Amino acid sequence: MTPQEVREAVEAGALVLDLRPPRPFAAGHVPGAVTMQFNRADLADRAELVLPKELRLVVHAEPAPIATTAVEILRGAGYEVLGHLEGGLAAWRDGGEPVAELPLLDVDELHDHAGEYLVLDVREGFEYRHGHVAGARLLPSGEAWDRVDEVPVDRPVAVICGDQTRSAAVASMLLRAGRDARLVMGGMVDWLERGFPTEKQAVAT
Amino acid sequence: MIFKQFRYEPLSAASYLVGCARAREAVVVDPVADLGADYYVLEAADQGLDVVGVAETHIHADFVSCARELAEMTGAPHHLGAAAEGLVRYPFSPLADGDSIRIGQIELQALATPGHTPEHTAFVVVDHARADEPWAVLTGDSLFVGDVGRPDLLVGDAQLDVMDETTRAETQFRSIREKLFTLPDHVEVFPNHYGGSTCGGVNMSGKASSTIYFEKRHNLALAQPDAAAFAAFVRETAKPFPDDYSRIKSYNLGLIGREELEGVGA
Amino acid sequence: MTEIREDHVLDARGLLCPMPVVKAAKAMKELDPGQVLKILATDRGSIADMPAWAEDTGNELLEWHEDGDDLVYLVRKGDDA
Repeated sequence: MTPQEVREAVEAGALVLDLRPPRPFAAGHVPGAVTMQFNRADLADRAELVLPKELRLVVHAEPAPIATTAVEILRGAGYEVLGHLEGGLAAWRDGGEPVAELPLLDVDELHDHAGEYLVLDVREGFEYRHGHVAGARLLPSGEAWDRVDEVPVDRPVAVICGDQTRSAAVASMLLRAGRDARLVMGGMVDWLERGFPTEKQAVAT
Repeated sequence: MIFKQFRYEPLSAASYLVGCARAREAVVVDPVADLGADYYVLEAADQGLDVVGVAETHIHADFVSCARELAEMTGAPHHLGAAAEGLVRYPFSPLADGDSIRIGQIELQALATPGHTPEHTAFVVVDHARADEPWAVLTGDSLFVGDVGRPDLLVGDAQLDVMDETTRAETQFRSIREKLFTLPDHVEVFPNHYGGSTCGGVNMSGKASSTIYFEKRHNLALAQPDAAAFAAFVRETAKPFPDDYSRIKSYNLGLIGREELEGVGA
Repeated sequence: MTEIREDHVLDARGLLCPMPVVKAAKAMKELDPGQVLKILATDRGSIADMPAWAEDTGNELLEWHEDGDDLVYLVRKGDDA
């Protein structure tokens, strides 16, 4: 699909699913796109976990074989996929279309500026209960699409998971819904590697 | 380190994906067109890696290379040994002896190993996350498991062939003895061909990896006393020529186009 | 070290989080209490996930180790799991 066709599809309610790695996505993406990591083994399973089947999708992935493969996989899982963005982000930009950004944080920055953020932990309940960043709220990634409205608009939200696979998806959903979302690269794996403290009690929401 | 060997059985050709998970980057070595550029891009993506480099140990004569397509598709440089200058008809990123490709913590060190071809380059693999010493070497068609690359795949053009068969054999002997066999014994050997491939002789093992130590001790060709005896041994233990090798080589050199490969197939 | 014999193997290699744990939970349903599920994974996030899941569900993570690029987990189904 051309950039114009993608824009029209988005205006008609389609969702752009960006399957590029987190850093390129963060640096610039189609406004409103939700991101997810690509692989062939379980893209379908992970998409089903976080995205409702009723959505009409447009795939953005680079290079082209990844996009065409992803379209096939998602259609096979029962999603309605309108097509993919031909020429990727370069074509989008060349078409004069605007580009959105997602700010990134590493765990050191999160640790040093903890008070500035609402930390949203998007892992499963048992992972959260096993140990989370002090004060973090739990919102499992599979529930994020439906519960985005519960996330405040007035504060920066640092989204965290085990690494950044699930948090990237949720951070992009929050961004799409007008939240001041930040993606924590490295996630709890890096947090624990640094020796930063965790707590086990749930935070009242 | 992510290290994957892809064995294309119809041609007994091995290609490689070497990557750093943290840096999310990988280099593909010796990609085979029968598998296709798409294949390597998807395999890298499955591992969460972007292809940032495409390297070839040499210009292949037994299989059509998709290195150029893969490089163009991913925007990555296409690396060849510097001695390919003047031989290939397309732009490439030259690697001189000792040059390195760095991907995250992984380093691929270019080791010029002429013989099988004049531009032949082996890649020594170092994973700095574990140690600064070599761990493996991608030997292309210089050193095989149990055998060595043949010196007689000439196209019949002195300017392109550069060395004749005898010179190639003797140069091969020195490249292996003086460069590959001076690597530490533990270094694993990963070649571009194995088993029934006609790029080497009758002693080529079906096992697609070995070690410098084991080849030093048991590779019959290298047990020969000198370069002349080595050249004679290689001649005596040769297999039939690879199918269509002259046309395939011409394509990989950039002398002919895809259309002229009609009829060449696995 | 005594060899732990597994009763069922789940190959979750190549799957990204949370799929290894999601599939482990599903696979565990097929086992009887006391039986051992061996899980193979490549996702590094599973290192924190598996112990957390086991603890939360009343299963016992007997041991885990790395085997090259693979992570190998041995989980015994709990009586109440």
